[in-house]
Amino acid sequence: MVKGALFIKSLRDIQKSKSQFISIFIMATLAVFIMTGLDSIWYTVEKHSYNMYQSTNLSDLWVTVANPSEQQMWGIGKIEGVELVEKRFTAYADTDLPGGPTLQVYALDDLSILDQPKLQKGKFGKSSGAVLDSKFAEVYNLKIGDFITIKLNGVWMRLQIEGLALNSEHVFAVKNTATITPDHSDYGFIIIRTNSLKSVYGQKVYNQISVKTAQGSDLASVVDRAGAYVGDNLIGITLQKDSSSVSSVNSRIQQFKTLSLVFPVLFLLVTALITQSTMVRMVENQRPQIGILKALGYSKRSILWHYTSYGVIVGVLGSILGLLTGPNILGRILIYQLKLTLAAYSLKINYGHFVFVLLLILICTGGVSFFACRQLLSDTPSVLLRDKPPKSGQHIFLEYIPSVWQKMKFSSKLIARNIVENKGRLLMSTIGVMGCTGLIISALTVRSTLSGIGDYTYGTTFTFDQKIILDTNKTSSKYLKNLELDGIAQQLEESAVQVIFPDGSQKMEPVSITTKESPLIHLQNIDGTPVYLPENGVLLTRKLCKERGINKGDIIRVKLTGKGYVSVPVEEIAYVASGQGIYMTDIYWESLGETFKPTSLLVKWKGKPDVKFLDSDIVTDLATRDSMQNSLSSSLGVVNFAVMFLIVIGASLAFVVLYNTGILNFVERTRDLATFRVLGFHHDEIRYLVLIENYFSVLLGMLSGIPVGRFMSWIIASSIDERLDLLGNISLRDVMIAGAMTIFFSCIVNKIIADKMKEIDIFEALKSVE
Amino acid sequence: MDFIKFENVEREYKIGGDIIKAVDGISFSLSQGTLNVVLGQSGAGKTTLLNLLGGMDSPTSGKIVVSGKEISGMSEYELTEYRRTQIGFVFQFYNLVPNLTALENVQLAEEICPNTLGALEMLKRVGLENRINNFPSQLSGGEQQRVSIARALAKNPQIVLCDEPTGALDSETGHKVLRLIRDVSKDLGKTVIIVTHNASISEMANTVLHMRDGKIAKLQFNEHPKDVEEIAW
Repeated sequence: MVKGALFIKSLRDIQKSKSQFISIFIMATLAVFIMTGLDSIWYTVEKHSYNMYQSTNLSDLWVTVANPSEQQMWGIGKIEGVELVEKRFTAYADTDLPGGPTLQVYALDDLSILDQPKLQKGKFGKSSGAVLDSKFAEVYNLKIGDFITIKLNGVWMRLQIEGLALNSEHVFAVKNTATITPDHSDYGFIIIRTNSLKSVYGQKVYNQISVKTAQGSDLASVVDRAGAYVGDNLIGITLQKDSSSVSSVNSRIQQFKTLSLVFPVLFLLVTALITQSTMVRMVENQRPQIGILKALGYSKRSILWHYTSYGVIVGVLGSILGLLTGPNILGRILIYQLKLTLAAYSLKINYGHFVFVLLLILICTGGVSFFACRQLLSDTPSVLLRDKPPKSGQHIFLEYIPSVWQKMKFSSKLIARNIVENKGRLLMSTIGVMGCTGLIISALTVRSTLSGIGDYTYGTTFTFDQKIILDTNKTSSKYLKNLELDGIAQQLEESAVQVIFPDGSQKMEPVSITTKESPLIHLQNIDGTPVYLPENGVLLTRKLCKERGINKGDIIRVKLTGKGYVSVPVEEIAYVASGQGIYMTDIYWESLGETFKPTSLLVKWKGKPDVKFLDSDIVTDLATRDSMQNSLSSSLGVVNFAVMFLIVIGASLAFVVLYNTGILNFVERTRDLATFRVLGFHHDEIRYLVLIENYFSVLLGMLSGIPVGRFMSWIIASSIDERLDLLGNISLRDVMIAGAMTIFFSCIVNKIIADKMKEIDIFEALKSVE
Repeated sequence: MDFIKFENVEREYKIGGDIIKAVDGISFSLSQGTLNVVLGQSGAGKTTLLNLLGGMDSPTSGKIVVSGKEISGMSEYELTEYRRTQIGFVFQFYNLVPNLTALENVQLAEEICPNTLGALEMLKRVGLENRINNFPSQLSGGEQQRVSIARALAKNPQIVLCDEPTGALDSETGHKVLRLIRDVSKDLGKTVIIVTHNASISEMANTVLHMRDGKIAKLQFNEHPKDVEEIAW
């Protein structure tokens, strides 16, 4: 630091203006807190998931094909960049556990090295034996040595649990696109040996080729060539980054990357503005001291550093506190809410980014202080030691509009001039309030948008009572059509097809095939007008179109079972909140040469549900619309936390800036205010004069907060989950609530300032002049 | 007689652990429409006396009656009302609001008073009709003090209190200001009290209160107050 005495002076000065420096400290702390907190989340997830993918040898892509042949394996193995090719079997299996949870079965060869389980306990032996999802085992209290019974291809299999493990493909484990948050009591995985399949299929069976490529290979060309090699037998190709878990994990990483860049901006801005207003005032008040220091022979540089050090000390202290608390409090709380199943959560701090934000803080505090006192230093000591020239009033633009100016009361004139004079301060408080309103709007918007998905999806789009999952082997469309059920029924086939998009990229996309009338699924345009399934083409969801740059009338190529690709026109685009993909009619699907095989039957019962039908062996599972909506909205717990968090940091912004403007307005004008008191102004009249500026910035900040809130809502909504199409539109109601909250916060601050004003003997200001 | 009456007024301050009697049991009375001077060294208690009379401070004990109303027991709110309607203040350092023009500084006082004398009128009266749109920083010290006098009188108060009104001015300007204070208050029938350490000013007063150590050392009545021009300092 600087020489001892000067350092002591800076500490005492900081203490004297403690409310301002505490504000700078709080803002700097919050900026670093939020930045490092959010940063640590994605950084930790990225590191841990990457390590897990590495240690389990996760494949780069999977080629789904019925009964892969040795020839196909060999061919894919020859593709440039491919290092390793293996085959495996995967399928969903029912269990005999209460509640009927589903397990995804992976069957691996004894010598396989790709897509291995991450064992937590026990072993993954050869030949027989099974490794169970450790989270799933926890829920059902299953231990090593216990038996679990699963139903594969209609046959029950009893397996002894040899090991408990995690799985790279189940870091974010959801059964299907309709599930928003993982539920370990409903869905898990089990990894077995292909030998065990003999008891069900009579032989080893496979349906997927796992492909590991060399780092940096051109995956798109590998996909193209693998697809071409497999030919008509291809069912689909899934890249690692497109697979359910990996893509969800990546979208969360991306989400927190974005948030950790967007949120701290506001706080950095406010830090800089508070430092600016504090230091300009301090340096001006200390004119004579600067003169004395110069007269004593202190160099320009040491004086500059002295005043810069104020900001640096506070900024560094705030940053350190932010670093200590951000990852540990914010990071720890939020990372748990992500519901990821990774090995061990040791929180990792991204020190590179911390250094970056520390530099920004130093610019906002030290740098700003530096510039605040630089201009004064050019004066000679004699000029500095002389009295400060009195502050001059300024005519403002309003005065040139006499019709307005003459009608204004003197108090309004005073306020108007004061505001123009302290533009920087007004900017600071306006930006603070803007941030507050913006953050609250985005918090409320995200909340209503997410809770709106449930209402939209299960109120507007789907109007069935029950979704009955069918055993496709035991039923057909014709059979279902002839069923005489007491109510409205709609057949639905949900599967996935390999699609080649106009830009040449290809991916497996979910496809829903249903009847043209579609009495229980009501697709809509974004503005709410109904959209009907086209007769000669397909319908795509809006988000999918946006991602792939598809417009109405474009042609996509769809892989048919056992045949090549067929070109189909995109005839319609519909807005679907939850679950993106392709929709088409059964007639169109069959016109392409496929068979319509309903996987579920949607029913809206007229009277009581038909128990006889529900008990028949073609029904494998059943979900009610209510339960589906509930599971969708149960993910709102996370949101509630986020909403609270956003409101708290928003309020802290408003508090700090308004308190500062209010106090500065008061402290800088005590002499004027004392004159007012002597002239016979009452307390409340003076309070009005001091605080009106705050209300002015509250008004400006609230108005400018609306577009900021709109922007932040949009950023949060679009990054929250790639399977959801969230619009992030702000509603009048949420804006009103946010406005009311902002006003409420500013009233509290103004009350605090008003109380503080009462404590100070205002006449002292006049006496001290003598 | 007895427009202003002090009876055994005391004002104590606690500074650190000590009790200091800034005003120590003083009694006097002044009549309406007179010009009075409170004279004393710094620390004699003159400013405290002025503050007590101006309703900016309340006595620890004793009684202050102005125009038949006791102000010594008034609440904060009543004191503000009293200042608003009865008192005009002129300060040594003018205390004009820097970002209001001369006219607006006078309007500031006018706006809160029921029977004002008109801001423009008063500025004309003090000879500043050409400077009304100037800010204080654009005016000389004498001009600023004239604005301050205009502001004090525009409220149409009963009493004008002046705290070292010439203290920051050169003697020529000081004379002009004193004359203005006397003339205007005479015309309007105001009671004026000037606090100063400058003994020569006391020659123009009807009554002179000599203060020392918080007490009135001497109460002096001038049968024939001197004209401002005759005073020299």
